Amino acid sequence: MSDERVAVGIDELWPEDTGEDEGVVVDWFEREGASVEAGDLLCVFQVVKVNVDVESPVAGVLDEIVKEEDDVITREDTLAWIEPA
Amino acid sequence: MYEKMVTARYYEERLEEEYMADKKPAFDISKGLIPGELHLAAGQEAAAAGVCAHLRDDDTVTGPHRPHHIAIAKGVDLERMTAEIFGRETGLSRGKGGHMHLFDPEVNFACSGIIAEGVPPAAGAALAAKKRNTDSVAVAFLGEGAIDQGGFLETLNFASVHDLPLVMVIEDNEWAISMPKERVTDVEDGSKRAGGFDMPGERVDHDDAVDVYEVAEDAIGRARDGNGPTLLEIQVHRRMPHFLGDPQVYRSEENIERHQQLDSIERLADDLRDRGVEDGDLDEIRESAHARVDEAIEWAKEQPLPEPETAYEDVWTNPPYGVSDTEPAVPVPGGDD
Amino acid sequence: MAEAEAEMGGEPGGRERTMSRAIVEAIATEMREDEEVFVMGEDVADYEGIFDTTTGLVEEFGYDRIMDVPISETSFIGAGVGAAQQGMRPIVELMFADFFGVAMDQIYNQMAKNTYMSGGSVSVPMVLLTAVGATYNDAAQHSQTLYGTFAHLPGMKIVSPSTAYDAKGLMHNAIRDDDPVVFMFHKRLMGLGWMPAPDGPKTPVPEEPYTIPFGSADVKREGDDVTVVTLGLHVHRAVDAAETLTEEGIETEVLDLRSLVPLDTDAILESVRKTGRLVVVDEDYRSFGLSGEIVARAAEEMLDDLEAVQRVALPDVPIPYSRPLEDEVIPSTEDIAEAVRATR
Repeated sequence: MSDERVAVGIDELWPEDTGEDEGVVVDWFEREGASVEAGDLLCVFQVVKVNVDVESPVAGVLDEIVKEEDDVITREDTLAWIEPA
Repeated sequence: MYEKMVTARYYEERLEEEYMADKKPAFDISKGLIPGELHLAAGQEAAAAGVCAHLRDDDTVTGPHRPHHIAIAKGVDLERMTAEIFGRETGLSRGKGGHMHLFDPEVNFACSGIIAEGVPPAAGAALAAKKRNTDSVAVAFLGEGAIDQGGFLETLNFASVHDLPLVMVIEDNEWAISMPKERVTDVEDGSKRAGGFDMPGERVDHDDAVDVYEVAEDAIGRARDGNGPTLLEIQVHRRMPHFLGDPQVYRSEENIERHQQLDSIERLADDLRDRGVEDGDLDEIRESAHARVDEAIEWAKEQPLPEPETAYEDVWTNPPYGVSDTEPAVPVPGGDD
Repeated sequence: MAEAEAEMGGEPGGRERTMSRAIVEAIATEMREDEEVFVMGEDVADYEGIFDTTTGLVEEFGYDRIMDVPISETSFIGAGVGAAQQGMRPIVELMFADFFGVAMDQIYNQMAKNTYMSGGSVSVPMVLLTAVGATYNDAAQHSQTLYGTFAHLPGMKIVSPSTAYDAKGLMHNAIRDDDPVVFMFHKRLMGLGWMPAPDGPKTPVPEEPYTIPFGSADVKREGDDVTVVTLGLHVHRAVDAAETLTEEGIETEVLDLRSLVPLDTDAILESVRKTGRLVVVDEDYRSFGLSGEIVARAAEEMLDDLEAVQRVALPDVPIPYSRPLEDEVIPSTEDIAEAVRATR
């Protein structure tokens, strides 16, 4: 496992005015091992009633999904790791 | 009126709590004690209270999918209405209707889920009153989005041509879900629709309960005296989203705040104080209204859920074969009751 | 699980999408290709569709092409017919199929009949997009599928996908087709944030456009012992039932109709010829509708090969609100399994 894996974080994406610090991963759109481009849609998480799309920060391979569908998450969580191309 | 309004406001707030309580962390509309859609009317109380203050039990009211404040103002059985919203066997509809389909024949109240759907039946109740020569009237409540619907426009003509004792009350909360009034309707004042139908129409530009009371008094009086229908439009506010779960991304923060700051209940309280009512009395009314709502909700939550077999009942009033004297040749399968 | 999903369509390992996103992709692609394609509906602009059918579209195409309309179904559906007859390609959204009542004249007397009544000189290249289905306690006026009601009246093509892959292919076909297509999507399958979908509808969906022909059913699960014919939500419930039945030694074939008009009779017959046992699962009212039609077609063609028939459908009652009551009337996975067992 390379040290250069890029984290898929969600801190900046977390919706501000919900007053909630817990959310849930709703859908994954790519599987582990998939090749992705920067900006490709990876997954969606939900905080109360707000859905947030998560895009890939870099081009590469989706190396590991850390938070699966239905997992509860907080804004500090890393959802997955990308092995950059 | 104050009592009805504070009851209605607190009712909607408590229902919001109950509804949202078990829908975390991911919102699932079918989970929880109150499943399905829930459309709450916080901010619209003045229209209901001001109009229904003039109504008797034998007057008919039809309401839209956002009905609780109207039901409360009309005197619908609060406990059984609450049980119905919680889907219980002892609810008004034995759990079959839910919050959009509340029926209370004792006070002649019904609401329904299709936009403007309740308007023609209200005209029908007015028609019945006229045929029987009583002085009962009918009132149809609808939203400002509904004034573009065919059934409403047809009823304007129908009621007018037959001189029916009908009052139609438009609650203009500015939003048809996410569509602001000016995007979908070409008039600013919906009551002007009446002009094309030879009917009086009037708009109350701010939901002051006393103003609504006065305007409604004229309209309902006109109907009761046999002088035909009236169209009223009352500006109200939508403090909450269209249905619980709606994130209202289409609505600016500023708009939501403005709706939440204009509080017709506070305005009525000020008015009452000016007329000499003591704060202590207002507080007492409010507290007892809150207690009543809390009790109704607690009662409702203890009520039993309906047995699955009851799903097949209540399709018919009479047996499937009707009321014929002759027994059916073959017993009719699949019927109930 | 992965096996069941792979059978749902699309190449395994490809990018996946929810059914709502697949529909939006198809609409967006067609709108980029052809300026005459536009969307009309209630809350399609800023709200992006009550059921996520127009997500992101008003941002890309503007308020003229993603048009919010007044709550006036007769007038906007009728306007869709008129614009289509002028050669445009409107996608008109009827928010809930249950609302058809206020506008049925424009739908079944105009949209469906003008091509025929004009002897073919006029076409109505319109899509009527509408939400169907129950399971979330929205009661009698907001929970119906009405498959039978729409399919019974001649002149409209009717489709209802059960997966994202099928949805996108059918939508491309529906928009390009010069005939009126009623595209019925089941709310529970869309992948909405406020109504979680089961696992089945989210499938791999190719990025590029593709079409799926109407009148083409799809075997979502192969089996030799019994044929379950269904569509929409109940494709997934049937597949779940099949997993249970496998453990009892029964192999169930699940045939997803995908399309009601035209109806893939051949696929039904081919499957029943193999198994001899037919179970129809229909989320519409039992009497005088879809389930009876499927059984009738099988009986007409292959009475001798039919050993057993079961219908699982909604009883002839309005859909009740309270959860135990709604659960009772909507066919469950166990109801399907019981019906299969009853054929043996």
